Amino acid sequence: MTLAIFSFLYRDNPIYKMAESLLIGVSIGYTLVIVWSSTLMDLLFKPFFCNEQYGLALPFILGLLMFGRFLPRTSSFSRIPIAVMIGSGAGVAIPVMLEARTLKQISATVTPLITESGFPDLSAIVVIVGVLTTLSYFYFSREHKGSLGISAKVGTYFLMIFFGATFGYTVMSRMSTFIGRMEFLLTEFLHLTG
Amino acid sequence: MRKIETRHWTFLGLFVCIGLVMLINVTVDHPVSAQTQKMYDFIDSLPSGSVLIVSFDHEASSLPEIRPIALAILRHAFSRGHRLIGVALLSEGTAIGYRLMRKTAAEYGRKYGRDYVYLGFKPQYIAAILSMGESIPRTFPQDYLGRSYENLELLNGVRNYDDVAAVISITDGSLTTHWMEYGSARYGIRILSGMTAAMVTTFDPYVDSGQMYCLVAGLRGAAEYERLINYKGGGTRGMLAQTTAHLYVILLVVLGNVIYFKSRRKRTTR
Amino acid sequence: MNRKIALVICFLFGLVMFLQYFSQHQVARSVNQAVLEYWQIIFAFTLLVGVASVIKSNVAQMRRGQDRSYRLVTLIGLVSMPLLALVWGIKADTPFMWVFENVQAPMQSTVFALLAFFVASASFRGFRARSVPAAILLLSALVILLSRSAVGSSLFPQLTGVADWIRNYPSMSARRAILIGIGLGSLTTSLRVVLGIERTWLGGRK
Repeated sequence: MTLAIFSFLYRDNPIYKMAESLLIGVSIGYTLVIVWSSTLMDLLFKPFFCNEQYGLALPFILGLLMFGRFLPRTSSFSRIPIAVMIGSGAGVAIPVMLEARTLKQISATVTPLITESGFPDLSAIVVIVGVLTTLSYFYFSREHKGSLGISAKVGTYFLMIFFGATFGYTVMSRMSTFIGRMEFLLTEFLHLTG
Repeated sequence: MRKIETRHWTFLGLFVCIGLVMLINVTVDHPVSAQTQKMYDFIDSLPSGSVLIVSFDHEASSLPEIRPIALAILRHAFSRGHRLIGVALLSEGTAIGYRLMRKTAAEYGRKYGRDYVYLGFKPQYIAAILSMGESIPRTFPQDYLGRSYENLELLNGVRNYDDVAAVISITDGSLTTHWMEYGSARYGIRILSGMTAAMVTTFDPYVDSGQMYCLVAGLRGAAEYERLINYKGGGTRGMLAQTTAHLYVILLVVLGNVIYFKSRRKRTTR
Repeated sequence: MNRKIALVICFLFGLVMFLQYFSQHQVARSVNQAVLEYWQIIFAFTLLVGVASVIKSNVAQMRRGQDRSYRLVTLIGLVSMPLLALVWGIKADTPFMWVFENVQAPMQSTVFALLAFFVASASFRGFRARSVPAAILLLSALVILLSRSAVGSSLFPQLTGVADWIRNYPSMSARRAILIGIGLGSLTTSLRVVLGIERTWLGGRK
């Protein structure tokens, strides 16, 4: 299977396509089994039929309404369970996005710029300049001219540093995955290493 | 047969370099980073018998990189006598997590139900994280093996995050973000993470703000952790190959730029 | 009419889940727990719907004669996993787990491992210092790559410190700005969804 996938490096071929098709099928089947056993059995069917928790009839019905999507006449009913999920998710996200992603990050940015000894803290200055200029780059309500243009340009440089660092770490990550597969091929398949 | 293109030569070069280097059994020395040291110190400083949740929030695709990190952390935790609760918020992590915990627990003579428990998978990770904050037994009425929550010795007295020292999220994506935003922000649980190197820059702001306590990243992070626990695992074995891969990519970048600037100069002088 | 009912349900659940965040009362916590359970159960059903859709579309394409053999292999893989689970269970050392560990996991890892080759190829063919921003990107990447290798940290001991500084300060600050932007955007979108201003999730007009 590993070699079948690696064959794609030369070019797309039927062996690779067959392996890919098998992977898709097996992955979906695996997820189906895990979700059925861990969620539907544990949280719905066992409590409902064995422990008589009849309050679960409501999510059961809502879940069944999802299958309405397959028929044009009943497809609009599937909006109701989707509304439950979307509404719950959005409601829970409001305080979380405000606190965890915005306020905490802003408060971590606002740190003393002058140290106790009276010298400027270069790193703290770099952080605050980086955050402000990068935010100014993403401000598209005004044209990037004049002082906003200069700020956005500096923000671009900070973004390039970020993308470069991300690329470096991504290379590291992908190479690690390949090294893992090579270890399998050399050790377990070809028995060339211990 | 189709013509061999430039990209095929770069592929072949990578394959040959890594393949040859992996046949050499040499350990490469490397310093331990501050973040890895912090993770080690935290697990080491906890009183023996502390309860930790280990969440396997990754897919099978990142297993070669994630596995050494997970094993190193599990080995350390088991060697310190900590009690581990395994969960998975991605379906593929379910089987992988159980296998890793079982394998590592056996190395240290740890018993299922008393020293470690695997609760399995729950979908919709935000709902699962929030639900565990309210009640772990209600989120997982049974463990992965089908045993009732109440019948597991380790889980006596473990109701929610208040009864747990920390959550260690083993991830290859952004799921740890939800642990911090929903678990830590709402319930105050400490979050640590072992992750693929590609995700490091994504989580740096959270480490800086204190929302994430620390992180161990990539094969290099695994090698550093293995050095701290005195164990030669997948991370240590892969370091020479990793170094070679990095040098190969640097060489390609430099070569590509040299060719580019040379051809640009030729065009301007014409 | 159906759209209005869905919008009202969305608003009610959004309001309830938003308000319960600010209450520690037992009733609020019970309601919170119940809604979270509903959420997970409905989500499980959406996955079932997804699986049914995949089967439906594959069968339809097979009937049209498109890539018949590949579609058949996909369906065989899809059906075999539940069958194996039904007969032998899903715990360790069962055929179900064997297929996962020896077919799915290795193939998925290998698909990801292909990216290493494409990254190497892209580094040679596409990574050019054509402008100042591109040169900064390149330099940042090279510093990180060299510092994470054993050779780099041995030859230039200060390199690790420089790489760590780049990661912890300028790179982190750019990412933080992106996060703040995403946070504000997510906040406004969530508000718009709960208040019924954002209706794209409702789908087509009916």
